Amino acid sequence: MGGFSEPRIVRSGGYVVHVDVCEELSMECVGEMHKLYYLVKMGLAEAIDEVVPGVTSIAVFYDPRKIGGEKVASKIRELWWQRKSVELEDLHKPKRFTIPVVYGGDFGPDLAFVASWSKLAEEEVVRVHSSRVYRVITLGFTPGFVYMGEVDPAIAVPRLETPRTRIPRGSVGIAGKMTGIYGLESPGGWRLIGRTPLTMFDYRRDPPIPISPGDEVQFKPIGPEEFERLVGVFVGDYGS
Amino acid sequence: MTTAPRIRVVHVGGYATVQDLGRRGYRAVGVPVSGALDRLSAAYANALAGNRAGDAVLEVFGTISLALPGDAVVAVTGGQPRVFLDDVEVNPWTPVYCRQGSVLRVLPTGVGRARYIAVSGGVVCEKVLESASTYAKAGMGCLGRPLRPGDVLEVGGADPAEAWDRVADLKPPKELVSKHSRLGESLALRATEGVHAHLLEDLETLLRGYYVVAPESDRMGYRLEGEPLRSAGKLGRLPSIPTDRGYVQVPPDGRPIVLMSDAQTTGGYAVALHVIPPDVDLLAQLNPGQRVRFELVSLSEAENEVVKYLEELESPSLHREELEYWG
Repeated sequence: MGGFSEPRIVRSGGYVVHVDVCEELSMECVGEMHKLYYLVKMGLAEAIDEVVPGVTSIAVFYDPRKIGGEKVASKIRELWWQRKSVELEDLHKPKRFTIPVVYGGDFGPDLAFVASWSKLAEEEVVRVHSSRVYRVITLGFTPGFVYMGEVDPAIAVPRLETPRTRIPRGSVGIAGKMTGIYGLESPGGWRLIGRTPLTMFDYRRDPPIPISPGDEVQFKPIGPEEFERLVGVFVGDYGS
Repeated sequence: MTTAPRIRVVHVGGYATVQDLGRRGYRAVGVPVSGALDRLSAAYANALAGNRAGDAVLEVFGTISLALPGDAVVAVTGGQPRVFLDDVEVNPWTPVYCRQGSVLRVLPTGVGRARYIAVSGGVVCEKVLESASTYAKAGMGCLGRPLRPGDVLEVGGADPAEAWDRVADLKPPKELVSKHSRLGESLALRATEGVHAHLLEDLETLLRGYYVVAPESDRMGYRLEGEPLRSAGKLGRLPSIPTDRGYVQVPPDGRPIVLMSDAQTTGGYAVALHVIPPDVDLLAQLNPGQRVRFELVSLSEAENEVVKYLEELESPSLHREELEYWG
């Protein structure tokens, strides 16, 4: 808990203030980061351009014609102390999403590796991965990429040494303590264990993805036939 | 009044997209800001064509040839390109009146790299999340891809004669044009310390020597070759932080990358420096093989420069042509 007593605040470039809540990923840290994220978003909305969450930090983009970085930093410090007296639920009511996934085979080419790394049967890896409710840490990297935690240590495999150049959209992967979904086709280094047929990101919708930091996600194993049936369904329209 | 002009792309030798000043407010869902790599040049191209600073323009790396089926005022900026209107060479950084049926060609030179072509009325195409900027990796904005021969782009309904009356004798600031004419030389990039500067014990290395723009530099990032930062190898991967244009990321191989407009919204590599926005614009204009060095500035200086930059970006300062007396 000591790490949360005072965040590291760094001003950068004349228009950004970064707040490092802690140096290493833990879900406790993520919870504190989320509180600060929503507090800053609401409490500083007038003064700032944009607030963006990272994994254990946030960045506040401000317009120096309207407010100075020093002032932004001191306001963030105030909000940091205020966060003690509020619950995350009061700032952001978490939504729960169910994501259907076909595990293994062509859908999850690294499932066999994860099984051998963890010394578990493939079915057991699937059971371990899909039995947890994950917390959405942040969205980023590419449009609609969802970072979630925390993965059971038994299957928390390190990322690939050499990233793949082309990963199909909807791919579900593991990288250490995090599991993630590739919203769009992209390169990437996470170990891929499955794929969802749902459309995770659609820029014609507003918002283009209904998932926010602090929301909850549970994966549901499905077969290839159901995958075919669900192709193109928007994540926000899928029941369970 | 003549018919509303539409631009037809005749030839592209390189990489050309439609861009405006970027897509704001969607970083929290992973959507990069995109927009012109050199925003000031884009804003000046618009101003010189009688448009608003944030109208959509063409960004061209390499050569392009455009047919303009209606009358239009056109302005080309970004370094010192060679511009031809129906085989007659015309000046960049100057409003040009193009008659119906003319062909505009922009050719590269060693001075500058990203050219901006504004047409009176502005390019009008599909906006995605409030911006016409093309982010080709996600097929977003305007055509969702780079321009190809045969593409036809709509232009907003501005009266070219009226636009011409407003802009015909307008000039951009001399310092700006002269800065762009010297882009063939090496460039000093002003930067503040980056988020992870305190973790890089050999940060000095980056501030000491020259770095050379690598060939694999694109709208996502400009890669630099030079003495690597050895301490980055020990750091490896950090928890991903939100990143922006101008962030100097150092992957474990120690070779710095300056993030540009299409860069991913979060990154897990150490951020050594943060190049201030007006200097990112200039860096965008450097060709592979050109040299840069970094120059550390204070946070208050950076803030002052950003204020000036944002003001200029919003309303580019044009002035009437001064009369020149001869003899």
